[in-house]
Amino acid sequence: MLAYILRRLLLAVPTVLGVALLTFLLFNAFGPDPVRAALGNHATPEAIANLRAQWGLDQSLPMQFVEFLRQIVTFDYGKSYVTQEDLGQQLKAGAWVSLSVTAPPFIVGGIVNVLLALVIARWRDGLADKASRALFIAGMSISALVYVLVLQYLLAYKLGWFPISGYVSGPGAVVYLALPWLILLIVAMGPDIRLYRTLFLDEANADYVRTARSKGASEGRVLLRHVLPNAWIPIITNNVTTLPFLILGSFLMERFFSIPGIGSLTIDALARGDLPILKAVTVLGAIALVLFNLLSDLLYAWADPRVRLS
Amino acid sequence: MSFDSQAHLQRLMPGLTRREALAAAGSFSLLSLPGMALAQEPKVLHYGRLSPFDSLDPIRQFDLDSSELVQLCYGTLLAYAYLDRPYKLEPDLLERLPEVAADKVTLTLRLRKGIRFHDNACFPGGKGRELVADDVLYSIKRYADAKLNSKSWFAMEGAVVGLDAFRAASAKAPVDHRTAPVEGLKRIDSHTLSIKLTRENPLFLFSLAISSTTAVAHEAVAMYGDQFGVNPVGTGPYMISKAERKGVLRFLKNPNYHQSYPSTGAPGDAEKGLLKSAGRKLPLIDVLEMPLIEEPQPGMLKFLKGELDWRGVDRANFTKMVRRKPDGGFELTPEFAAKFEIYNVLGVAVTYINLNMKDPLIGGNKALRQALLHLTDTQGEIDVLLNGLGQKLKSIVPLEFPGSERDTGATYPGYDVARAKALLAQAGFPDGKGLPPLLYRVAGTSSTERTAFDFAKARYAAAGVQLRAEFSDYPTAIKAAEAGNFQIANLGGWVADYPDAENFYQLLYGKNVAPGPNHSAFANAAYDRAYEAARLMSNGPQRFAHFRTMNDIIKDEVPMILRANNVRFGIRQKWLGNFKRNELVPEYKYLDIDMAAKKKGI
Repeated sequence: MLAYILRRLLLAVPTVLGVALLTFLLFNAFGPDPVRAALGNHATPEAIANLRAQWGLDQSLPMQFVEFLRQIVTFDYGKSYVTQEDLGQQLKAGAWVSLSVTAPPFIVGGIVNVLLALVIARWRDGLADKASRALFIAGMSISALVYVLVLQYLLAYKLGWFPISGYVSGPGAVVYLALPWLILLIVAMGPDIRLYRTLFLDEANADYVRTARSKGASEGRVLLRHVLPNAWIPIITNNVTTLPFLILGSFLMERFFSIPGIGSLTIDALARGDLPILKAVTVLGAIALVLFNLLSDLLYAWADPRVRLS
Repeated sequence: MSFDSQAHLQRLMPGLTRREALAAAGSFSLLSLPGMALAQEPKVLHYGRLSPFDSLDPIRQFDLDSSELVQLCYGTLLAYAYLDRPYKLEPDLLERLPEVAADKVTLTLRLRKGIRFHDNACFPGGKGRELVADDVLYSIKRYADAKLNSKSWFAMEGAVVGLDAFRAASAKAPVDHRTAPVEGLKRIDSHTLSIKLTRENPLFLFSLAISSTTAVAHEAVAMYGDQFGVNPVGTGPYMISKAERKGVLRFLKNPNYHQSYPSTGAPGDAEKGLLKSAGRKLPLIDVLEMPLIEEPQPGMLKFLKGELDWRGVDRANFTKMVRRKPDGGFELTPEFAAKFEIYNVLGVAVTYINLNMKDPLIGGNKALRQALLHLTDTQGEIDVLLNGLGQKLKSIVPLEFPGSERDTGATYPGYDVARAKALLAQAGFPDGKGLPPLLYRVAGTSSTERTAFDFAKARYAAAGVQLRAEFSDYPTAIKAAEAGNFQIANLGGWVADYPDAENFYQLLYGKNVAPGPNHSAFANAAYDRAYEAARLMSNGPQRFAHFRTMNDIIKDEVPMILRANNVRFGIRQKWLGNFKRNELVPEYKYLDIDMAAKKKGI
């Protein structure tokens, strides 16, 4: 197992290098000029040259890339071009806030959606199954933005059940996060339940399940003791690969509910050409994806004893 | 201070920590009469910021949002009168306007005595000390330091004897802003300094009114270092209590602030009740609470619920809430008129289209440029795309500034397809035949810019002129424009740096070609002569005569096509008093709130 983990981590290095190179080229070679963006309308050639030198942008592209690699290895991404604030602190603070938005609905939704899918699979092809399928397809057809706009208007403004927007740190955040959580839960329900229902029904038609039924096992026991454990691997895949994106936050929720997470930080950085933030978020996202993919593989081995990590 | 005050503040402002509430209550207690508990409920203004600020360090910002916030914390040497129109300068940190010596280049600046920096841990004992002349000298040198990259350096570039040399030296080696000498900056006594200009320059006074040249305390810069941008320590009407760039900004009133509400204003202000607070010590509102609300829907919903006190109106809500009056003005629909007030004022920005005078086709064919002028339907764009929020321009100067078309009587052609066709024929392209599609560069990639381009494209096509668009972000568009990589360019326009017509006529001055703002690369000897003659004159008939000359050249040669003066539009709660939209100073310190009405809600 340890050898497997080490091997996977070593293999991750060229992946991350590739992402770093692509990110670097996209932003440095082809992206907008951050110096002009920073200096505005009245930039003079001297001011432009001066700022380029300060930011190391007067170096050759290969030298700039080497510096970028140093930042990745040391997790020291320097300072924001726009605010001059240390990026490490900004990203750390933003990550916790983003997690507070995305993690609870992810966890609760994960459990609830699996259970609901089991229930729907139990009464497959019945009225409840057909009605839920239609409902979830309709729900999936609606953009997440529409949910945000409608539910914010109805539940927060008209009914006053939630604050319209805002955020405070600490336990008081729950009041402000409740509506974003609800929206994220609703948005994830349709695709997740449909996927899990399909997985459970696939397993439900397997030979071993027929054997279990013929031995007299109840439908509930069949689903919980036989179908669910065998459907874990795709469920793990579906959820673990989502984990890195929890840290990156939900751009929509953070923007519409004024939550200061990494999502809104990234959108602002995009709008203002704050390249250090964009590069840091991209590379950190890639590293997170690689690590969580590894975690996903390790969980396969736990979920299915037949899986050998080699 | 009483704990009741602290608890009460926490109810008014959810999210206020106990420590902040205690500090705020403590600050209010300075206003109470001895022996009395806090008698009056603190006045709290709620305003939703539209974008996160860059920095509250005066020299590290020059966007509108940051500049407004900086001016809450820092006083400026000079400021613009709140109520007077046209905008005019008045002393703020200074006792009076600078005295100009007989040599016309030496200014003497006398600071008001007794102005104190905000209390802060950077001072011994945490008590703010008095503002002195050394602070102003220190701040100007800090502002000029090349390594600190002040975006607004242009305002003093070349203006002060020795300051450019200081800046050049600072680019090579660190300089001590407190002690390094500058030939043109002299301390006369503790509250007096002199500035020697390189030449007679009445425009220099405007640079003493921008937020970047305000006075900062060296103790605060030394203590906070990189964090100075979120730890402002100034002499302004408000002190920062909470500085979350993407969260809530909270300001508490400075109980030692030196200004009072003005006693005079523009004609009509008294009738509107804008002088009823005359003589009262500022600021009138105790707490400013400014959450960041970037999206229009939550901002407007919070306003409609009474959780915000004033807000701009986005396009989607505009059509629902506002209608045109027969006289062309605006009013709220009856559903909203009972609850809110609107304001619309002319802004200090102008939009225009640049034509590339260096392009062989465009630059070499005056009739073609004049045809393009007649195909630009600015009024149509204002009516259709901007809901009427704009004023078509006849000269390049915003209408509220001296020297605008109101003073010069300028005229300017409008959309006229027949005239455009005649000019196209004269240019050698009858009905657009033989004219290749023109490269139309747009700064911006949002749906707003694309819709505006589609509108222009349809108008130009009426005479057979085809356009080929290139959309890009602003810095890329500017870079391309400076390289001459366009034939027609919509780069957004120009926002006034100061309220003088010179700031707009300089956009076509020959010496301001790239990397300057003359993106049309216009070089016309007669225009330049008129500009150089007018630039440092005082406003009056002689200066306006030069403006007329430049207007006529712009209309004839068409290096740019004038479009519109922006209109600022917003909506406010009826409980918000003393409100007069000002484009150059933040209104907050002058505002008042009827808290009883606010508590009652909508």
